[in-house]
Amino acid sequence: MVQQLVDWVDERVDLSGLRHFIAEKGVPIHTQKIWYYLGGMTMFLLAVQIFTGILLLLYYRPSATEAYESVQFIVTRVPFGWLIRNVHSWSANLLMATAFAHFFSVFLLKSYRKPRELTWLTGILLLFLMLGFGFSGYLLPWNEVSFFATKVGTGIAGAVPIGGKFLLRLLRGGDDVTGATLSRFYGLHVAVLPAITTALVALHLLLVQRQGMSVPLSVARKVKAGEPLRQMPFFPNYVLRDVLTWYVAIAIIAALAAFYPWELGKKADPFAAVPPGIRPEWYFLAMFHTLKLLPSHVLGLEGEQLGVVGFGIAALILVLVPFLDRRSNRGESSPVFTALAVLGLTYLVTFTIIGHYAK
Amino acid sequence: MFLVAALLLSARTAAAQTAATPNSCRTCHASLAEARLATPAEVFSQKDIHRESGFGCVDCHGGDQTAADKARAHDAGRGFKGAPSGQAQIATCARCHSDAELMRRFSPRQRVDQAAEYVTSVHGKRLAAGDTQVATCASCHGAHGIRQVNDAKSPVFPTNVATTCGACHASQTHMGRYTLPGGAPLPTNQLAEYQRSVHYAALTTGNDLSAPTCNDCHGNHGAAPPGVGSVANVCGTCHAIFAQKFATSVHQQIFDKGCVECHSNHAVLKPSDEMLGTGAHTICGTCHSGSGDKGAAAADGMRAAIERLKAGVEQSGSLVARLRNAGMEMSAQELALGTARSQLTLARTEMHASDPARLTPIVDSGLKIIADVDAAGDRAEDELQYRRRGLALSLGAILLVVVGLGLKIRQVDRRSREHHERSRRDSG
Repeated sequence: MVQQLVDWVDERVDLSGLRHFIAEKGVPIHTQKIWYYLGGMTMFLLAVQIFTGILLLLYYRPSATEAYESVQFIVTRVPFGWLIRNVHSWSANLLMATAFAHFFSVFLLKSYRKPRELTWLTGILLLFLMLGFGFSGYLLPWNEVSFFATKVGTGIAGAVPIGGKFLLRLLRGGDDVTGATLSRFYGLHVAVLPAITTALVALHLLLVQRQGMSVPLSVARKVKAGEPLRQMPFFPNYVLRDVLTWYVAIAIIAALAAFYPWELGKKADPFAAVPPGIRPEWYFLAMFHTLKLLPSHVLGLEGEQLGVVGFGIAALILVLVPFLDRRSNRGESSPVFTALAVLGLTYLVTFTIIGHYAK
Repeated sequence: MFLVAALLLSARTAAAQTAATPNSCRTCHASLAEARLATPAEVFSQKDIHRESGFGCVDCHGGDQTAADKARAHDAGRGFKGAPSGQAQIATCARCHSDAELMRRFSPRQRVDQAAEYVTSVHGKRLAAGDTQVATCASCHGAHGIRQVNDAKSPVFPTNVATTCGACHASQTHMGRYTLPGGAPLPTNQLAEYQRSVHYAALTTGNDLSAPTCNDCHGNHGAAPPGVGSVANVCGTCHAIFAQKFATSVHQQIFDKGCVECHSNHAVLKPSDEMLGTGAHTICGTCHSGSGDKGAAAADGMRAAIERLKAGVEQSGSLVARLRNAGMEMSAQELALGTARSQLTLARTEMHASDPARLTPIVDSGLKIIADVDAAGDRAEDELQYRRRGLALSLGAILLVVVGLGLKIRQVDRRSREHHERSRRDSG
């Protein structure tokens, strides 16, 4: 049946090029090959997000008066609504975890080196977009915690020197977090960010398929010395492995959704006192805690302002890594950038843990 | 009459005069070695509402503050009267504080009937009878360094009133000279008792300045023990619904001391359901007992009804909390439980009418809500189990697929290896 369908298409659109590409494409086999699966896993979780997100859209109502009630309706009245919402929430968090893991594996293996600068660039931009998805999606249930966390988060955006106030008003749709903010975040979450993400994911995948998988520097050196590079066929050997990991991910998400459901909490009340322990999602905790630890004034600048500038510079350096790391581009080991990646990873893990337990 | 008019006139013009003229009283008294004479000048120079409003020493003590020598300054012909005490002190304070026109200029909302009330108080009556040991204005408010009532350091600020009254009423030395109408010694344990009460806790640890202290039940300027028949009215000032219920109760005619019979007066402890009924440690049990006692049956019946509703609320509350923690949406049931808790409060209030028939519909209404919550809880429990069974089935199916994929991977890997070997042999 499938073969008949393929033949039918082949008769009309010549698939020989694609068939040849699939038959010839190989995935390098070496000790670090396990990290290859993180990209596929992140893409799979993104697909889960899109699928569950579309289902949630059928019932979600983006207004301050109805948002909370509509989510409540989804989890109580809509058949399997609880499952869809919990899968969406848990999958979002796993997606952030795999995206960060993918980013650090690429960073440490120096996979960004020539000729894969554009793949790195699109990947970094996708990571920023995922953070944007997390930030905008957090507010949508319009509950107490998300409301005040968004207030704090957008307040940090307001600390950006030159244009910070404009950015704050642009994000909030006014001076404070209101229904206007919810409308904007909803628009960002379901239209603007998905449109940009789709384009970037397509480009990212195209580049990966076109250039093939990068191999670590140590393997590349051996290949250069004449040692053969072992490969496995992309289809079906590698694809089957990818699918297997996706099934494991589904099992984990389903178990988390059933045993650790995402709490809806209380409806946001703009006039209520800020509840204790307001903090952002775990993937923003390191940044949030760093800003908290900064003194109110450093070198004539406001501490928060300095922190935001610091994060901006760090983000710019990350984007430019393939162009700054010239040793890797020459095929030489570059301990400075390895140290930078290890330092970044240690900082994120340590500050996230401290931020989680801080009062 | 002429004298009163002259005094009022002098009070009205005092503020203007003292601000402009030199004050030899403070200069001279501040330099005196005797603390009794120096301290008032020093304290008055600090925080004092009268000095801040423009009043000076001569406005209460008379005399001439412009005089450079003591004889002229303390000249009785210039109105000097020294430190007023007893009735003179009341008259001195009342000169301004009973003058509505004058007080309107400084504190328009302040009452001007303190002196009139004082005359009706036990303090005022005893003073009129010649007892100079009773409290007068300065005993509670101080003489110099007087602060406004809303100043937390004022001795008559709500949190300080009990200690201020206790300065005399908790002193056996001071109160030893007084007896109750029957001749029994006057107790001095009121302060200690009050400090054990729920009212004191609300005032001090709960920071509720509206919680009652001595003057809220006894009056302040007209301070007197509430009459036996008016205790319910006093308590009912705040506990209005309880007072209404009690007014319809059979006990209203029987209880001499009203609310105090069950709740005590100064040591009003936090009431509990254990006070109701005829078992051990109950209040009703002190009068009612035995199977033939209708009162005992009513008390036990009301206690049983309240306990039934209380247990229902607790059990349903833990069911809802457990299901909520398991991720079930239970906000409607939490709201309903709130209504059931209100019914429990209503039942505890209605109990003061001492009529089980009036309690029954309230308790039944609460139990009906509890039954609905429990039914919703059972449905949620079923749904939760359904979800977990579904998960187990899904995980089983996923496991099968994973095993199948694993086997398939081994198969394709073997084929790839064989293909690779064949190609190598062919090329070799």
